[in-house]
Amino acid sequence: MTTAAIVTTILIWLVFICGLGFCLSRVGKGGTWQD
Amino acid sequence: MAEVTRDRWTGRATFIFAAIGSAIGLGNVWRFPYMTYEYGGGAFLIPWIIGLIVLGIPWMMMEFGMGRYFQKSAPGVFEGIGKGWEWLGWWPVFVAFIIVTYYTVVIAWSLHYMVSAATMVWGVGQAAAEGAGGYYFGSVLQLSDGPSILGAPVWSILGLLALVWLVLFFIMFRGARVIGRVSVWMVCAFWVILVVLLVRGVTLAGAVDGLNYYLAPDFTTLAKGDVWFAAFSQIAFTLSLGMAGMFAYGSFVAKKADVTNSAFITSFSNCATSFFAGFAVFSIVGFIMQAMNIPAEEVSASGLGLAFVTYPAAISMMPGANAFIGVLFFLCLFFLGTTSAYFLAYGGVISPIMDKFGLKRVTATAIVCIISFVIGILYTTSGGLYWLDMMDRAVSFYGLLITGALACLVVGWAFGTRKLREHLNESSDIRVGAWWDWLLKVVVPAGLLFVVIYGGFMNDVPEAYEGYQVGALNGSHIIWIVLGVTLILSFVLGAVKTKGAKRG
Repeated sequence: MTTAAIVTTILIWLVFICGLGFCLSRVGKGGTWQD
Repeated sequence: MAEVTRDRWTGRATFIFAAIGSAIGLGNVWRFPYMTYEYGGGAFLIPWIIGLIVLGIPWMMMEFGMGRYFQKSAPGVFEGIGKGWEWLGWWPVFVAFIIVTYYTVVIAWSLHYMVSAATMVWGVGQAAAEGAGGYYFGSVLQLSDGPSILGAPVWSILGLLALVWLVLFFIMFRGARVIGRVSVWMVCAFWVILVVLLVRGVTLAGAVDGLNYYLAPDFTTLAKGDVWFAAFSQIAFTLSLGMAGMFAYGSFVAKKADVTNSAFITSFSNCATSFFAGFAVFSIVGFIMQAMNIPAEEVSASGLGLAFVTYPAAISMMPGANAFIGVLFFLCLFFLGTTSAYFLAYGGVISPIMDKFGLKRVTATAIVCIISFVIGILYTTSGGLYWLDMMDRAVSFYGLLITGALACLVVGWAFGTRKLREHLNESSDIRVGAWWDWLLKVVVPAGLLFVVIYGGFMNDVPEAYEGYQVGALNGSHIIWIVLGVTLILSFVLGAVKTKGAKRG
């Protein structure tokens, strides 16, 4: 893969991993998994 | 009379998996990767993520939140805003109903191919790969020359369509509890299969070339309106919003539970799946380019062509385990289609009917399954693919976008975003501020109307859609008729007075 394609891949995965990680870490601050 | 007991998820995880299952659909595999390749590669992902944040997530929060607030599906939500608005809840119900009548036929095709792949009916090797299109259009669809030449149903597809509706009935007639559990299994199974397909894809010769086509960014495209249109339209279609079902899914959540964070998790999971699926798809595109010595432009990398022509062709030329990979791929499509189909049928149609007419769940489910199956017979005929294409344009494009924009405007300006926001924040993991009000009141409807005008009316008003002709009517006429008839029926249903739901 080209460097540009690899950088794109890494950046987009970072967005999703950080986004999902933040959301999952917030569970329990208002609602819970049992709701 | 006994207190109405609302249908409920067994827990938050089942709700989120059901919502992810509804959002992840065939478009994640056959639309998103191609759009990325076509509109600037990696650069396309910038407007796509912006669209997700300013358009997709606020819209999903609204549908979940309104469903939870009123504890009703779409028509009940809009009736709650004001009696004169109930029709706006029924219009997306018709959108969902028409979509599920043809979506289930695509699932039936996938089942047909799953069986065919087990014995590689269309053959192995390059000659067989070149004949994959002929097998699909000739043997499977028995395609006629136009929509006015329907012909008889293809009996094998008709039988499989009946099987699909039988499966859907057994998933749906017990309600949200079973739907949630089935969703957990199907979504997880789909993700596992996708990983297997990805590993197979990227280990094929030429795969890297395909991935470069998929992701190499061309930032000059960001100055073009087409790219922003494509990104916003992809977000509008990918989250299964505007089809009534998410209101119902939100209404199955208890009033004190979070939906804001669940909307974020659902949206991110859906889009991450799209991005991941692109690797599985474009590694195959690269493999075909090298194996057949053709440029990327000649490989059908989207829609039905990708699923039923390009992928089977690639399977024919794989160095081993052809049948295994073929069965897995079409099983993957079956899971994708099924989780979306019961969302459309149950959340989009059955739940609103139960709320309005007070029917028992099993009765409403049986009625919807039987009527949908009968209508679906149209798409199993030789001319069915043309009708599927026109109906898809009418409801999955125009219907979804117009009803979605109107719903956001009515909720934003008539119900009040501040009231909804305060309701959402009461028990939310993530509190949203006043910025969200303006996204819902202005940005989301403007974005949806931009897509419908720029990508729809500007093409289909001056020219007949796809050049289709049925008697004196052309393809565009049929689209306007479908929209008009469903709108009139929505007003009729909105005006009908009933005693409402007796059972949850």
